[in-house]
Amino acid sequence: MFATKRLSKELLKMQDHVPPGISIVKSDNLEEWHMDIQVLDSNPLYQNQIYRLKFTFNSKYPIEPPEVQFIELPSTSETPRPIPIHPHIYSNGIICLDLLSSAGWSPVQTVESVCMSIQSMLTANSRNERPPGDSDFVSYNRRRPRDINFYYDDDDV
Amino acid sequence: MTSALELKEKGNQLFKEGDYNGAEDYYSQAILRNPREPTFFTNRALTRIRLSKWAGVETDARSAIALIGAQSPSSLKSFWYLTQALLGLQRPKEAYELAINAYRTSLDAKSPQTENLSRTVLRAKQQIWAAKESARLREMNETLAYVEGLVEGELARGVEELRRRREGGEIGHVGFLEDERALMEEGERNVGNVREAFRLASGGEVKERIVPDYLVDGITFEIMHDPVMTPGGTSFDRVGISKYVEQAGVDPITRVKMTLDDLRPNYALKAACEEFLDQNGWAVDW
Repeated sequence: MFATKRLSKELLKMQDHVPPGISIVKSDNLEEWHMDIQVLDSNPLYQNQIYRLKFTFNSKYPIEPPEVQFIELPSTSETPRPIPIHPHIYSNGIICLDLLSSAGWSPVQTVESVCMSIQSMLTANSRNERPPGDSDFVSYNRRRPRDINFYYDDDDV
Repeated sequence: MTSALELKEKGNQLFKEGDYNGAEDYYSQAILRNPREPTFFTNRALTRIRLSKWAGVETDARSAIALIGAQSPSSLKSFWYLTQALLGLQRPKEAYELAINAYRTSLDAKSPQTENLSRTVLRAKQQIWAAKESARLREMNETLAYVEGLVEGELARGVEELRRRREGGEIGHVGFLEDERALMEEGERNVGNVREAFRLASGGEVKERIVPDYLVDGITFEIMHDPVMTPGGTSFDRVGISKYVEQAGVDPITRVKMTLDDLRPNYALKAACEEFLDQNGWAVDW
């Protein structure tokens, strides 16, 4: 499959230029990358805060979507990275976004475009809340994000 | 007495362990017992690919194809081995002709070799371009040709020296291959540096090596060689889009339902890609 070649090309392109508010933290292998993202407008929920995303790729990328979730670094660490508050982001970092599901994914998406989509998902949000059933989901869910059937019913968020 | 099949099994075992010389030996014995069994030849061909014994790969692949029948889709793997051998032997035109035909057969037969053959077509084009490019540059500048000749002479002497040491038993075949590759790479680097220096000194315009986006496949990010168009009007290289449509059943841009039968060749774009590759063989590695 062409996953490795495609990823190394994405990397080359991003080393050349990344959009504002996005940076590569770790991309030393072609299975797991870490990216930092930041919301650039003055949305008070996310202002001046940096968040970390973990991308996991399998050999079928980009035919199949990467697994993408937020990861947390404690506030005591040198680079604190909380999980952003959002009605589609569970407190364990799992993101409910159509684009990342097997049904909503398109192989023309890239790591860069996914980061930008998540940036704009944060920018557009004004609700300071977690998804309904967050604590249950976080305690009981053992499934991998792409196997979960989220409801994408409130598209206006 | 060991049967031919048992010999092949032993060969497979050694192949798995990475002992390619040993595996080659067992396959050769199996072939002596039964020269009508194509898998003995295909296995030995693959082993010899690992050993970079290209002339041997060529004869094995041709034997396998003759036994299986060139028209049968089961021979596609052997065709792929054969094209590897021809590229290794620096005969890219033959490799290209065979690879493009095998690619078409492979598409019709929905063979898993399609992806490999698709890449080989590009590799062959690249090698054809590289040979033309060398000739052109040397024609342009006699001094460059002279300096490159020196580099190549030194490389040939180095390889000769290695060969002598291998025959004298100082180094094994694997060591020989490693050292040979290192020498080749150094030679390529030197030639590259020399060309760069001459290019700068000639004051010629510096051409930036960029493949235009419209020739690049949005799925594999490589230059296309068999572009096809979706009903939505976007073109992709056939290998990647076929994989996606088989799995998802939708157009990746519009998300409208579609099947493989909805893909149409895009001949104009194909011509554009071909013309670009003819002049810019480096684009294959881009």
